[in-house]
Amino acid sequence: MSVAAQLILIFFLLCAAGAVLPFASPQRWQPIVLAVIASLAALILLIASAALLASGARFHATLWRVLALGTLTLDADPLSAFFIFVTGLVFLPVSIFSGAYLTKYLAHHDLRYFSALYHVLIASIVLVLIAGDVISFLVAWEVMSIASYLLVNYEFERTESSRAGYVMLAMSEGGTIAVAIAFIMIAGASGALDFAALRANAPAVAESLRWAIFLLSFFGFAVKAGLVPLNSWLPLAHPVAPTNISALLSAVIVNLGVYGIVRVNLDLAPTTAAAPGLIVLVIGSISALIGILYATTQGEMKRLLAHSTIENMGIIAAGIGAAMVFIATDHQVAGAIALIAALYHLANHSVYKALLFLGVGAVEAGTGTRELDRLGGIIRGMPWTSAFFLVGVLSIAALPPFNGFVSEWLTLQTILRSAILSSTSIKIVFAICGALLALTAGLAVTCFVKVFAAGFLGMSRSSAAAEAREAHVGIRTSLGLLAALCVVLGVLPTYVIPAIDRAVMPLAHESAASALIPPFFTANAQQPQKLPPAFLAEFHDIGAQVGRKFLPGRGLVVLHRGEERNPVVFAMSTSYMFVVLAAILGLIFVAFRMPTLSRTLARRSAWDGGLRHLLPGLTYTATGFSNPVRVIFAALVTPAASEESTKAVAVHFRTAIKREYSEVHIIDRFLLQPPISALRDLAQFARRMHVGHVNAYAAYVLLAMLIVLVVGVGLF
Amino acid sequence: MAVLYRIHDDTSDLASFLELCRVHWRGVVVASADEADNTCRIDCGTERLRDICQWLTDDLGFAFATLVAEQAPKNWLLIYAFYKDAKSPLVRVELKLDAALSVAPSVVDLLHGPSFDWHEREVEDLFGLHFEGHPRLGEFVLHEDWLEGINPMRRDFDANKRFEPRTTEPKWEPPTIVTAPGAFAMPIGPVFSDFAESAHFLLETVGEDVVRTIPRFFYKYRGVEKIAEGQPPDRALLLAERFSGTAAFAHGLAFCQAIEAICGIKPPPRALALRAVLAELERLRSHAAAITGICNSTALAVATSQAALIEERLLRLTCEITGHRYLFGAVVPGGVICNPSQTDCRHLTAAVGEITHELRRLLQMLRYSSSFLDRLEEVGVVTEDQALSYGLVGPIARASGVARDIRKVLPYAVYGSTDFSVPVEREGDGYARLRVLFAEAAQSAGIINKVLSSLPDGAICSDELQLRAGAALSAVEAPLGAAFHWVRLDNGGNVSRYRVTPPSFTNWHGFHLAAENFAFQDFPIILASFGLSNAECDR
Amino acid sequence: MANWVLKGLRTGIRTTSYPAGPDDAPGISPGRPIGTSLSSTTAVDQLVRNCPTQAIAPDGSGIAIDQRRCIHCFRCQRGVDEPPIWQQGFEWAAYVDDQAPRKLAAIFGRSLHIRFVDAGACGACMSEARQINNPYYNMHRLGFFITPTPRNADVLLVAGPVSDAMRLPLSKTYEALPTPKRVVAIGACAASGGVFGPSFAASAGIADVIPVDVVVPGCPPPPLAILHGLLLVVERKPPSNVFSRASGGSKESP
Repeated sequence: MSVAAQLILIFFLLCAAGAVLPFASPQRWQPIVLAVIASLAALILLIASAALLASGARFHATLWRVLALGTLTLDADPLSAFFIFVTGLVFLPVSIFSGAYLTKYLAHHDLRYFSALYHVLIASIVLVLIAGDVISFLVAWEVMSIASYLLVNYEFERTESSRAGYVMLAMSEGGTIAVAIAFIMIAGASGALDFAALRANAPAVAESLRWAIFLLSFFGFAVKAGLVPLNSWLPLAHPVAPTNISALLSAVIVNLGVYGIVRVNLDLAPTTAAAPGLIVLVIGSISALIGILYATTQGEMKRLLAHSTIENMGIIAAGIGAAMVFIATDHQVAGAIALIAALYHLANHSVYKALLFLGVGAVEAGTGTRELDRLGGIIRGMPWTSAFFLVGVLSIAALPPFNGFVSEWLTLQTILRSAILSSTSIKIVFAICGALLALTAGLAVTCFVKVFAAGFLGMSRSSAAAEAREAHVGIRTSLGLLAALCVVLGVLPTYVIPAIDRAVMPLAHESAASALIPPFFTANAQQPQKLPPAFLAEFHDIGAQVGRKFLPGRGLVVLHRGEERNPVVFAMSTSYMFVVLAAILGLIFVAFRMPTLSRTLARRSAWDGGLRHLLPGLTYTATGFSNPVRVIFAALVTPAASEESTKAVAVHFRTAIKREYSEVHIIDRFLLQPPISALRDLAQFARRMHVGHVNAYAAYVLLAMLIVLVVGVGLF
Repeated sequence: MAVLYRIHDDTSDLASFLELCRVHWRGVVVASADEADNTCRIDCGTERLRDICQWLTDDLGFAFATLVAEQAPKNWLLIYAFYKDAKSPLVRVELKLDAALSVAPSVVDLLHGPSFDWHEREVEDLFGLHFEGHPRLGEFVLHEDWLEGINPMRRDFDANKRFEPRTTEPKWEPPTIVTAPGAFAMPIGPVFSDFAESAHFLLETVGEDVVRTIPRFFYKYRGVEKIAEGQPPDRALLLAERFSGTAAFAHGLAFCQAIEAICGIKPPPRALALRAVLAELERLRSHAAAITGICNSTALAVATSQAALIEERLLRLTCEITGHRYLFGAVVPGGVICNPSQTDCRHLTAAVGEITHELRRLLQMLRYSSSFLDRLEEVGVVTEDQALSYGLVGPIARASGVARDIRKVLPYAVYGSTDFSVPVEREGDGYARLRVLFAEAAQSAGIINKVLSSLPDGAICSDELQLRAGAALSAVEAPLGAAFHWVRLDNGGNVSRYRVTPPSFTNWHGFHLAAENFAFQDFPIILASFGLSNAECDR
Repeated sequence: MANWVLKGLRTGIRTTSYPAGPDDAPGISPGRPIGTSLSSTTAVDQLVRNCPTQAIAPDGSGIAIDQRRCIHCFRCQRGVDEPPIWQQGFEWAAYVDDQAPRKLAAIFGRSLHIRFVDAGACGACMSEARQINNPYYNMHRLGFFITPTPRNADVLLVAGPVSDAMRLPLSKTYEALPTPKRVVAIGACAASGGVFGPSFAASAGIADVIPVDVVVPGCPPPPLAILHGLLLVVERKPPSNVFSRASGGSKESP
């Protein structure tokens, strides 16, 4: 038994212990027990997956036979290992956070079920990721869906919780059914249920069946991933879920949807045409834009982050779509780069989204609200939380040198690589999607400037925000951990990319590591073929080899090398950027602040036009800040405004103007509401037949018999 | 009741109006006529005030001019003045209140109630006289650091004593009324923009669209009406001219006309003609300044420069003719000071002709600048009904279809005998106001030319001024609209009550009508298209 | 838009040559009375009595005029036996404290950013201040710019006697200016309260509320006088003085 296998076994044992132990320990110890066991489990998970990823080894275990359905197997390839690693990255801080956060439920909730379900959830997520056959995959998937539903719906006595939980469960089950059918189709073609057999028989699957498999599996998994048009559950579920579960939902569970899409469509039954990839690309791009549009206009932070999850999943899906097109058209390296971009973004998104959700939890714990319009100025009361949150905000806004920048930049660059494709129509689709993604990136900055400026800076718009207190040390630790990860993933892409490359290689059948990370540090006379000397000299001059003496690896520059004519397709180095930025900031400090350190600075309040005092009600609200976006995109968002004025005396003195905006999500409006209302109309119509008289029902029976007879006679 | 008399309603001259009044209000109120002033006086009690105000405004179509409050030793005197057209008399409804009572009925809930609104608020704030039924009394002229219960216009208040501010930090809450998700108020001022007069505007907004504007004025309240009390008319005249330097001649003229009416003198014909010339010169300059402001607000640089050139040219011309760029000291009770020579008159005619030509060219070019028109059209609309109910005056009212002009309605100087027209536009938007400004500037130039072409010879000032006790209401069409000055002289010939209702006071009240439901970037344009003066409003 | 460019070009240059050269175009300034030696004490008495703002005081055999109080009412010119000398020109601005100015220019160089505050001005001062932006005077050629926020301003240009409600905004604006900062008071009201102050509702000028460095007398001071005041801040022109003595506007201060 390998080390990895032993660790995974210990992990499952810990999960089992975590699921049982709560029932044996007193209520007030629950949070600590959960934090300790789950953190340990997550740590073991991290080590195991890191070992798998580093060695490139596979973990394989055969369990037992189930009736005629075949043998249940566990099988973790590097792709699984990558997803497990990301899961671990999120679970560790979330578990630490939970230890402090769950104390708020101690007074009036039974935490035993929560703890048990939490561990069941981790275990089932890992099981999904290492399932080696259809049956164990579907079983684990169902356990995971139900456990996450129960956890989201933990505060089930709230009506909005149960509605959100209902929508979530219904959509999830719909997705599962589609996925199950897709699996059955693949299995039907190969005659076996374990993944290895499916993989081996994939080329034999008929072309028409491929389409069905692709559509069913993609849209089935898209539910979990929250892609448009199957995103309705995300903004509903997040606000009602406990914050640690929200974080898991957005940072781990949606990833499983992506895992499913990648696993089925790039591994088990790879698509052979460009069209499915284009569908994924287009759906991803649209998801990204719609997600960020709604995020920008949101004022409630959890809902805003949920919409932003849709956006990020869209970006990831766009990368996967691009990879599918590239691989299907025999551009393996480009495909590998696209997949690396997508998976890198997935990891980044998990880290910063977890950070932001936990940050919101910390803010809510400190102020009691998540409404941006009621916050403001909490940086004074919560400096640490605010600083960590700022790292998350900069990362999600894709600003260099933070992690969001690296992967979004890579994604956009790979979409620009469509130049190498031969079909003009595909190029046009790529160009349009690239434009949508660029617009998304721009709006993301607006959106998160709003979050930080309205929520953390400025004047406090409620007494709760004014009296904000710094979060518990456990919460701060988890935030700090995630913030550090944001920086590391952003500043050291050349060390992250080879790891992801190992996960991607089996899918793309080609390594992109040497295409993306030229060996600036290791290149020397012995490897002239890798980097031409002129090329090396040029990059040496601009500093690409700074650090080669003492840093391991191949360099700090992400550089995609093209052919002779176009030697550098794209290049970037957040590592050097980070150093230079730090140097510039330091220099500015030395040049401008140091000489005046001895002087006493006169601090004056903000210029307010000479008003007696500036009041919070006179400063920009989050809604106000984002309203221009709402106005510009009114055709998409179509907010319905209603205004009513109440009058005191005559028409001239109004004492109140009340305006309300109601908007229905564009997807609900165009795709979900019409069939739902049609169904309702049909039901209304059917209801009319139920007059409640025995005679009428007798007549219906008679009529039905008559029709059957007539049809029967006609047929035979 | 009113309907019965509708068909007979004849307000066309003083006698018939008096008859109508006596028939309609038989045994209820006392109406008397003052032939010399073409004024009908109606004495009424508190219980009939609302009915009479309603009858005058709603039924007979009179417009409210001004409310004058006076504190006599034993009682309060409230004078509501109304005007209608050239034929109808000026109507003064007088209400006496017991000094101890200090409560009057409010008339703000009438159809034309808004025109009374600010007057009642001002009287309440400055005199401490309560208006029953007014929903929004309180802090108005005197801001939050003024001590409660001290009313500067009362007789026992010493105008020379320095104001003692509160020792504690006063509370101020923005009077916002909009509730919407994310609604907030954007404060502008009192110190704002490049060269803006001090005023404060709260724009209630949800981000891009401004739902409502709450203006706050009287940052520049200098207590002119109070410090004029007890001064001889020639000193009070300095205040009348200088409280609004950009309309100094119009207000100085109104003050002088009131003194002349009290003392029963008539300026010589040359003086009357020159008054019209100078008043039109001032109007021309003021309108040029307003046009500059509008061009500037739309960031049309060349047009701004062109209009500013015209404005400066008019300032220099004024200085050449009268010795002062803003006509300070040009008018005195009994006549005028400056006596332009034949050469001056020719120079003036020629220069005004050139300026008219340049203005016409400017308008032509503006008309074909679509980017400019886009920003003015349908921006800051005031409808005719709103203009009537708020009693708006001047170019703003005329741009909304209300063709009232004091020069026609209550002619003074030589306007009664000079042929000119009153330009009217119907749209009530920024562009309509701009067109009215241009058209009025052209009319003013025409008046200057007509009057100068037949300028009578003779004295420019009557020397028989004998001060005596009395009171008079005088009205002029200041550049920004109708201005009403009420002056009472005591037995010593000193001013005992001076009440100014400047056009900016009347029109700022209607500003919020234009500043509703607009895009934020249009605010400076709406402000400029109103072109009002805070100095004039705040006094 | 092309026709606007053409229009602008066709208008040509209208800008004054001041401060490089003189400007004596008609109507640029109303002029002002200055200290004059008079023939008799009755004439002096008449002038002193006629002046509504106590700007005229007996001085030896004639009168001296406190320019900060003069409101251009012409009552020392019209209907008197012996009017004082009426001086044309516009270089009226003066330092409040003659010792202070030496270091002004060194700090500001040649360019100034100006924040205007209306502290209850009648509108004429404001109108004249606005004219320094028009093509005739064009302050930008001298390196003077208006800023919308006091945070970027070097100079506070203030008009008006400071009405009560403007005391706080004015002092807040002054506070908001970064140091070093200078205050230029324009107009008789800003210099002395004019016809309005001191009273229950207005102060006796800007100096009651914030320290003043340069005062520009006049009611209102013409645009070139305001430019002169700004030029004084950067020491590009010599000052006038606020008291003009009987000898006819001598340069020494009392």
